[in-house]
Formats: sequence, C-alpha cells, structure tokens
Amino acid sequence: MTLTGLAARNILRNKTRSFLTILGVSIAVIAFVLLRTIVGAWTVAADHAQKDRIVTRHKVTFIMQLPKKYIDDVRNHPDVAAATYANWFGGRDPKNETEFFASLAIDPESYFEVIKEVSVPADQKAAFLEDRTGAIVGDVIAQKLGWKIGDKVTLESGIYANDLDKPWTFTIRGIYTATAKTADRSSFLFHWSTLNETLPETRRDEIGWIISRVKDANKTAGVGVAVDQMFDGRDVQTLSQDEHSFNASFLAGFSAVLKALDVVSLVILVIMMLVLGNTIAMGVRERTSEYGTLRAIGFMPGHIVMFILGEAVLLSALGGALGLAIGYPFVEQGLGRWLEENMGSFFPYFRVSPGTAIAAMALSVGLGVVAAAIPAHGASKLKVTEALRRVA
Amino acid sequence: MMIPIKYNVRSLLVRKATTLATAFGIGLVVWVLSTSLMLSAGVKKTMSTAGREDVAIVLRKGSDAEMGSSVEDPQVGLVKAMPGVKKEGTTPLGSAEVVVVAAMAKIGADGVTNVTIRGMTPDGLKLRPKVKITAGRAPSPGADEVLVGSRIRGRIEGLDLDQSFEIKKNRKVKVVGIFEDDGSASESEVWSDLDVLRSSFGREGGVSSVRVELESAAAFDGFKTALESDKRLGLAAMRESEFFEKQSEGLSIFIGALGGLIAFFFSVGAMIGAAITMYSSVANRQREIGTLRALGFSRFSILVCFVAESTLLAGVGGLLGVAASMGMGTLKFSMLNYASWSEMVFSFEATPSILLTGLIFAVAMGFFGGLLPALRAARVSPLAAMRG
Repeated sequence: MTLTGLAARNILRNKTRSFLTILGVSIAVIAFVLLRTIVGAWTVAADHAQKDRIVTRHKVTFIMQLPKKYIDDVRNHPDVAAATYANWFGGRDPKNETEFFASLAIDPESYFEVIKEVSVPADQKAAFLEDRTGAIVGDVIAQKLGWKIGDKVTLESGIYANDLDKPWTFTIRGIYTATAKTADRSSFLFHWSTLNETLPETRRDEIGWIISRVKDANKTAGVGVAVDQMFDGRDVQTLSQDEHSFNASFLAGFSAVLKALDVVSLVILVIMMLVLGNTIAMGVRERTSEYGTLRAIGFMPGHIVMFILGEAVLLSALGGALGLAIGYPFVEQGLGRWLEENMGSFFPYFRVSPGTAIAAMALSVGLGVVAAAIPAHGASKLKVTEALRRVA
Repeated sequence: MMIPIKYNVRSLLVRKATTLATAFGIGLVVWVLSTSLMLSAGVKKTMSTAGREDVAIVLRKGSDAEMGSSVEDPQVGLVKAMPGVKKEGTTPLGSAEVVVVAAMAKIGADGVTNVTIRGMTPDGLKLRPKVKITAGRAPSPGADEVLVGSRIRGRIEGLDLDQSFEIKKNRKVKVVGIFEDDGSASESEVWSDLDVLRSSFGREGGVSSVRVELESAAAFDGFKTALESDKRLGLAAMRESEFFEKQSEGLSIFIGALGGLIAFFFSVGAMIGAAITMYSSVANRQREIGTLRALGFSRFSILVCFVAESTLLAGVGGLLGVAASMGMGTLKFSMLNYASWSEMVFSFEATPSILLTGLIFAVAMGFFGGLLPALRAARVSPLAAMRG
C-alpha cells in the first residue's frame, strides 16, 4: 500500500464523521457559490457594459428630462457615430399589476442602430416602424404574459396621465431577442412620438436620456466630457457617463449590500475551515499512538505531515466536488432560470461563472490544508515514546 | 437518576480546542442570523414609525411613490377643502410638498447616489410634530437654506452642518440645520423651502403630494370617498401609515429573503459541526459511557446527558454570537430603496425578541446536532465498552 493510499483509507475509518465533514464542506460550498453568484449577477451589467456607449442625462436628477433638441447637438458631434433617446414610461399591465417590466418610449429609427444587442427580425421591425401605435417586446416578458404578435395591450403609467377615454393601447408588432447575455429581455418598447403627441403642451418635446455610440472606443470618456461642456451654458446641464460608470453608479446605491454579502461569504469560509479543522484534529488525537508506531518503524515526521494533509485535502476536495455537483445544476437549471424569468429586470443573467466554481473548489482544498496545518505540525513534533504512551 | 451537568461541563473543558472551535462556529452562525434579523427590524422601524393614522397623503391616481406623482396647484386648495380635514381656526391643516431626487456623490463609495430632497412650506413641520432640530437652526422661509436629516448627514458630499451643495448650476444652498424625526425614513432626506426647490427644478405650478391632517383617524374613509369620487381630479388618498408600509414592502421582503437563505445554509452547516464534535466525543468516551451504564445510569439518562452537553456547547456559542451582534447596533447600513429610488440609511435594531431568537436557534442547533450522537451513546453496551 502506498502512502497516499493509506491517507485515503484513513477517511474510511470513521465513516460517519467523514460523511458529515464532506456534507458540511459541500453545504458551505453551495452557500458560497450562491452568494458569489448573487454578487456576480448584480455587477454583471457593469462588468459587461459596452465600452463605446455614453449615457447622457439630466445633471442633477434622473426624474427631470432634457430638451429634445439636445439630440441633434449630440448627433452633430464629430466623434459620435449614432445617438438615440428614450423616455421611461413607468408602464404596468393592469391585468398583471405586480409584474414589473421596463417600458420605454423610443425613437424607432435610431434605437436599434445604437442598442445593437437587441435583435428583431427584419419584417417585424418594418411592421413596427409603420405602425405608430406598435410595440416591440422582449421574448422573456412576452412568453411570461402570453403576448403574441398582433395582440393589443393596454398599459397604465404611473408617470404620464392618460385621459379616461384615451387609454394607452399598443399593438405588438415584434418580439426581440438579445445577443448579449446582460441585456434586459423584458422591456416594452414603443414609439416616442406617440407618447409626445398625447402630452400637454408644457411637457412635450422632452426626452429622458440620450444614448450615443462613439466612433473610437478609446475616446469614450473624452466624448462624454465634450458633450457635457456643450450643454454647460444652456438651461439644462447634463451628466454623461460611459455605460460602465452609469451602471456602477447605480450599484453604488447597493454597495452596503454587496459589502455585507462579501462579509457573509468570508464567514462561510471560516465556518468551513472550523468544521474541517475540527474533524482533522479529532482524527489526529485518536491516532496519536499509531503515528508513534509509524515513527518507530522508520517513517519521518514529514511522512506524518503528508498523511494528515493528504487526508484533509481529500476530504475537502470531495466536499467541494459534491457541493459543486449539487450547487451548479441547482443554480443553472433551477434558481437561475427562475430569477431570469421572474426578476429579469434585476438579474438578467444569473449563472455560476467558471471563476466562481474554480474559486470554490480551490478555496475548499486550500482551507483543508490550512485547517490541517496545526494538527499536522503538532503530530510531527511528537516524540515517539510519548506518542506510543498516549491514550486517546 | 440523572448524570450531573457538572460532568458535561468538565467534558467540554477537557477538549478545549474542539469545544472552542465548535462554539465559535455556532457563534458565527448566530451572529449572521441575528444581524440580518436586526437589519430587517431596522428597515421596518424606519419605514413605519413616521406614518400617522390620522394623516392622509394624496397622490395622483396610479402613482405609488411621491416622486412620480404630480398635483396641480389649483387642486391643492380643493384637496384641503375636502370634508374631514382638520382646521386650525379657519385654515385647513395641510402641506403641499415637492419631492425630487438629486444625484450626489456618496462618501466612501464609487459614483453617485440619489438623495431625496423635499420642498415644503412651514406647514409641513406642523404635520410632523415629532421633528426636532438637533443642531443649527430652521431655514428662513424663501432662503437658499436646507435642513438635513440626521442619518444622511456626513454620508454624502456637502450634506453636513455649514456645508453647501449645488442644487442647480450656480445656485448653492447651505445646510443650516440637522433634524431628527424619531428614527423615521425622513431622516434620510434633505428638506428645503418649497419655492426654492420648485424654481431650481422647474416644477412651478404643481407639487408631488398633499398631506392633510384629519379630524380623527376615523375621518379617513369619508375623506377618501369624497376625494376619489371627483374623477376630474384624478387623485387618490392613502393613510400615511399605510403609505410608508407599502414603500418598505419590497425592501423588507428582499432583506428577509436574503437573510432567510443565509440562515438556512448556516444553520445546516453549524448543526453538522455540532454533530461531528458530539460523535467524536461519544466515540472517545466509550469506556466512560460503559462505566456510567455499569454504575446504573439508564440508557435514557445517557441520552439526556449527551443532548445536554451538545445543547450547552451550542448555548455558549449562541451567547457569543448574540453578544457580537449587539455590537452591530452602533453601525448604520445604507442602501437604495426601490420604492423611492433613493438612498436610505437604516440602523440595526437589537430587540429582545431577536436576541432571544438567536439564542433559541443556537440551542435548537445543539439539540438536533447532538441527538443522533446521543442515541449512539445510549446504545453502547456496558460490557463491550468496558472491555475496550
């Protein structure tokens, strides 16, 4: 029998304890993977932001709008390739009151030129462009609320008043899919001009924000500054951010939550180490006289350390593998799908990243080594005679 | 006859390292659990204390937050004239307010966050009798001066006593006072003069909401019916207390769900930890158990003895965890509230019931974690055990 074989056989000596330890490690790994995936899903939008896009909005508050003529100034800027605009409509389907989805009044001609990750079949797009009361919806929300092309949908808005005799009714002309995994597949898009016409004189010709694509992605930050300078002397000042900062500033609001999740992930690792360390320490205590025998027949202190570390690594690797084997399909097939379908606006992409899986595995093995270090060191330092004399 | 508890205490003390590791693990679990419960309680307290039963808040129909709502100036008078509104002499008690959110730089985090700024006339303070100005003074009406809530102060650039911030390009407003409002959500707001805010944000001619004080809490139904039956107004009324509860619903569910998920995994993990410790304890003490049985202790008393030891172990851990979580009481937690889309600061509320829950939770983990090992101990045959 080889030395590693002996270490492996040791695990089978106390089956209940080994089983419980592996179970404990695997539960810690599942919890760790779940938490890191939550954090990842939260920040995924910021991490995968398009580098060549700028969002321009009201400098002080997102609830105020920009004059529509600003779009022409942005489009005329030499470094801007294309620009589009949208208004947040705050729509809700009165038949599905609790269902949250983004509803945007968009400029149909330019929107798809700038937002490239949204793709609509050409014939549906043409039908949408032609019908002024048409709408295009994301495939996720369409499936969820059972909307099909040709359906009429009436929305209520919490922001724009509608007369009782003139409800907001749209005909669904297209269903879009997303080519980027972080894109929201639950939006409801309709013609900006349709919204504009129904507004009172004082609220007309205002746009919520401008999204522009720059010609050279390396100049994105500079173009943002230039756009803000352009409007600095006007009535309404703007704040332009590249998409990454725009998303990051949204995350700033949740920084405390993200920090808390980080702390909890760390606590999980500590608990995992305690469980492992406890098991190893007990095993070592029980087998002290055996280690004495091994030393007496010629094994070196290094061998003893190897036995103990080998056992710890094997236990934690088994636990880590079991945890991933349960946690991965649970997130991928169950929870992740559910979240993407039901809370797609918050978590458009909820999947375990390879980095998380590798980190979970590496950490469980690494912590196994750390947990075994003290007992292993202690056992290797024992005098042979003392070890032989000791009773568990 | 039962085995004295002293035996268990000594057993735990003999295995100092193992006992400490297990108790520490359980302590961590209890700490995380009670901290998340405390936060959840903090959110509830913050959002519900401000609401009064006898104050109605009027928003545009279909709006569920003040920010998105708009009430035209001429409608304000009509709302105040509705039946059920309390009068001071001949003037009805009501406050028309504008609520906006402004992007401001958060101290100690990347990027900007949204801060709620509320514009109101001095009438607003009459409807909020619990508000106390704790530092500085009240702003002079019409001046470019603001009050800042005690929770948000010092967390955002420019929001502290005697500092100032730009409410609009080239228009600075100065923070002249800090207020407290019995721990309510408004302590995360900035309060300014109604007209200063309206002119800076181009909101002339309308407000976001109208608050009115009612003759009594029971007068609400009459007020609501009168207001909502006038379809041309397009307004809806809600009790202030109910309004605040609705605002915090999403956040409470979110924190509760996250806390519950974490607590579940942690408790299973800790239970396994306790079980490992107790199983080993039982295995190492075969001879002892055999001796105890030979001395005449029954299987049942062995079972009780080991469950008690595990419970004691977990109880110590629970005490550690609860004590640590009480230390969190001094910290503040700030995050974006979905409903108002602006930054809110919460405290961790350590209530006796939460601390007790944490402790009971620990004891339960010890009990269930120790049950199986104790059963094994109880089944030990005295003869076999003593023979070794």
